[in-house]
Amino acid sequence: MKFSRRDLLMWGAGAAAGLMVTPVPWKILDDTSKWSQNWPWIPQAARVPVEFKQSACTLCPNGCGLRVRMAAGWPVGVAGANTHPISRGALCPLAFGAHQLNWHPKRLRAVSRRGIASSWNEAQGAFAKARGEGPIVVIDGYPGRAASSLLESFAAKQGGSYRVVNGPEVQALEPYEQWTGVPASSLGYDLENTQTILSFGAPLLDGWGMPGRFTRLWAERAAGITDPQLRLIQVDSSLSRTASRAWQWISIREGSESALASGLARAFVEQKLVPAHGPIPAMTLAEAAGQTGLQAQEIADLARTLIERTPAVVIARENNPAVAALNIVLGSVGTRGGIVRRSQSKQGHVSAEDAIQSARAVLIDASVPWDFTPKVDAEVFRFAAWDGGPTKADWLLPAPGFLEELTDVPSAPTASVETYGIAQKLAKPSAEVQSAAQFLARLDSSLDSLEKIIQTRCQQLFRKGAGTLHAREQSPVAQLASAEELEEQLRNGAVWVGEPSRADGLRAELKLWPDAGPSTRSADWASDWAAPVLPPLASKLYIESALRQVPERRNA
Amino acid sequence: MSAARYGMVIDLDRCTGCGSCMVACASENNIPALPQATARTGLTPMLVRRVSNSKQGSERREAFFPIMCMHCEHETPCVKVCPQQAVEVDKATGVVMQMPQRCLGCRYCMTACPYHARYFNWWDPSWPAGMEKSLNPGVSSRMRGVVEKCNLCHARLHSAMEKAAAGKREIDAADYIPACVEACPTGAIQFGNLADANDPVTKESKSPESFRLLARLGTEPKVYYKSKEAWVRALAEPNAAPASEVQHG
Repeated sequence: MKFSRRDLLMWGAGAAAGLMVTPVPWKILDDTSKWSQNWPWIPQAARVPVEFKQSACTLCPNGCGLRVRMAAGWPVGVAGANTHPISRGALCPLAFGAHQLNWHPKRLRAVSRRGIASSWNEAQGAFAKARGEGPIVVIDGYPGRAASSLLESFAAKQGGSYRVVNGPEVQALEPYEQWTGVPASSLGYDLENTQTILSFGAPLLDGWGMPGRFTRLWAERAAGITDPQLRLIQVDSSLSRTASRAWQWISIREGSESALASGLARAFVEQKLVPAHGPIPAMTLAEAAGQTGLQAQEIADLARTLIERTPAVVIARENNPAVAALNIVLGSVGTRGGIVRRSQSKQGHVSAEDAIQSARAVLIDASVPWDFTPKVDAEVFRFAAWDGGPTKADWLLPAPGFLEELTDVPSAPTASVETYGIAQKLAKPSAEVQSAAQFLARLDSSLDSLEKIIQTRCQQLFRKGAGTLHAREQSPVAQLASAEELEEQLRNGAVWVGEPSRADGLRAELKLWPDAGPSTRSADWASDWAAPVLPPLASKLYIESALRQVPERRNA
Repeated sequence: MSAARYGMVIDLDRCTGCGSCMVACASENNIPALPQATARTGLTPMLVRRVSNSKQGSERREAFFPIMCMHCEHETPCVKVCPQQAVEVDKATGVVMQMPQRCLGCRYCMTACPYHARYFNWWDPSWPAGMEKSLNPGVSSRMRGVVEKCNLCHARLHSAMEKAAAGKREIDAADYIPACVEACPTGAIQFGNLADANDPVTKESKSPESFRLLARLGTEPKVYYKSKEAWVRALAEPNAAPASEVQHG
């Protein structure tokens, strides 16, 4: 039988049609699809047991308590630690993705000098040479730590200077330094006892301070309550996220915060709402109304509202003396529910923003925001865990990343009580890194190590016998057996909380009504986040949702 | 073990729109942050939406709606349209389960879902070198070409079940808390067993201020919302006559 071309085509077509009614092609399609969806090179999490460890977040100076999920020696998840007395289990959204930061593509992994690969030995040599040639300046962005103490000691021994870059929350307290004689770093807000908060653009519900502290207070005492125990009045030129959830939103023209503060001070005095003491602003109520875009009556009503439920406190977003002066007019400095003295420390720090006279070398700690540039012509040694882009620093030195080093955690900048904790090292450094403190300790072996400083601090706390240790249970320090026990508990995530601050320990005197401060902008607030990069998962906030869109401002 | 009906009550008056729930959800479920993902193509099983009262100036008010799978109980739309039986309502927990291994990626369920709470996974997961060490060991990497959604942190449920089985007891509420609930800094998201009349969440769900989105469709979502603000409650039934709950026989 002859098998023609036509037969071949018919056989082929029949076979193809017949195959389609068998499961074979469909099974192949299904298997191919699944195979391609599960390529062997697609990363899968290691199937290993998990454990939980307590630590503290060190990505901003607020030091929220962390409960870290660990697998195979790596952090694989971050949640808030409910045992932390101030953050109470809450974190900012960025912290939930912080465990991925150490593998961020912009992680600094090697020493470089002006963009050319170098080594730690060369960096040490260059810094040692520079300090022999002239004064050095050490700049810290997170003062109060054991590492800060080491940086300060080194600078003092070398005849150099130690300077600090304060975050916006401490900057907002700076005007009180000259009126009270107490450094801003020793002051805080007694939010737990206040009944009315007038916020001038401070993003209280958007990462301000320790996120868990105010948001929990607000949720318990204000959220959804028509006549809340805690009235939050937000002054903002746009409907920020805090303004949208506030009890009242005062919409003013951008940059007119100082005018509103002056108008309010004037209204307090003219309506005899507060005892007449101290200077009053030259600006009239009508002028303030003209600048802010509000009616004079609205400013007068706001003044009455502030007095209606006291204690009341005014919070500025940043250093604005006119806004800060309102607390003196209201009598809210050194009183319950107002500005209180957290610590008896009288030691302030020189701001790194001030001009530096002359220096041969400047060493910048990794805690200093990336965009800070010292105003001095010197060789700059910049420590950082992540590359934030173009920089004027001569040397880039890779620092430990998230939870890659042991550090202690002093009180948060806005806290009303002193706290102390220890953030233990939970992750292996993914590169050859050194902190600024380790770098200097190698240059000067007479400096105490971080471990030794932390140990000494624990011994001091134990000897003082004051305060309470907060872990799963609370125990007064006086009942602990030894300083070693205190340190061990702190290393395991416990937090020491000092005695509540005495409101009457602070007196403020205002001789002249202050000049207007800078204009306040409510956009692009990412808390006091110090790292120059955000966790990759923050893309959920910034790209894949409309949560961080810049709101429309009021300019007219 | 008695059947549970896990559900949530989200107090919108407490939600500040911080987005912690979104980031915690992504971290828990090993969702990669892909540079090519956009608002339309990203994988966000928990998505906080911003809404307003449509007024301008100082009259304007905004609120935030965390939107996720509503775990519909009746005539579950996604279950009904799935040709692969890749979606089913777990009778033991009430959780609407998505099985990616069965899903062929037709996306009928996405069309059927009235809440837009389902997402197609367009890409193979990938992370920068080394970041795979930070993945949650309890959850697989997300498969490309399938539909994804909130499964109420099923890995956490499994873990709680194992713990309960080892102790020969019922699941302890403290052992099973989804990541979004754990992350919420204001306690706006409450989670519990709606089958338990004494559960605080059951009581909250019956509050006059509680409501469900698109209740008129009769799908019986197990995610409730709560607000004292009338304009917020009105958003639950857009372009519709006032809501009336559908009664099922």
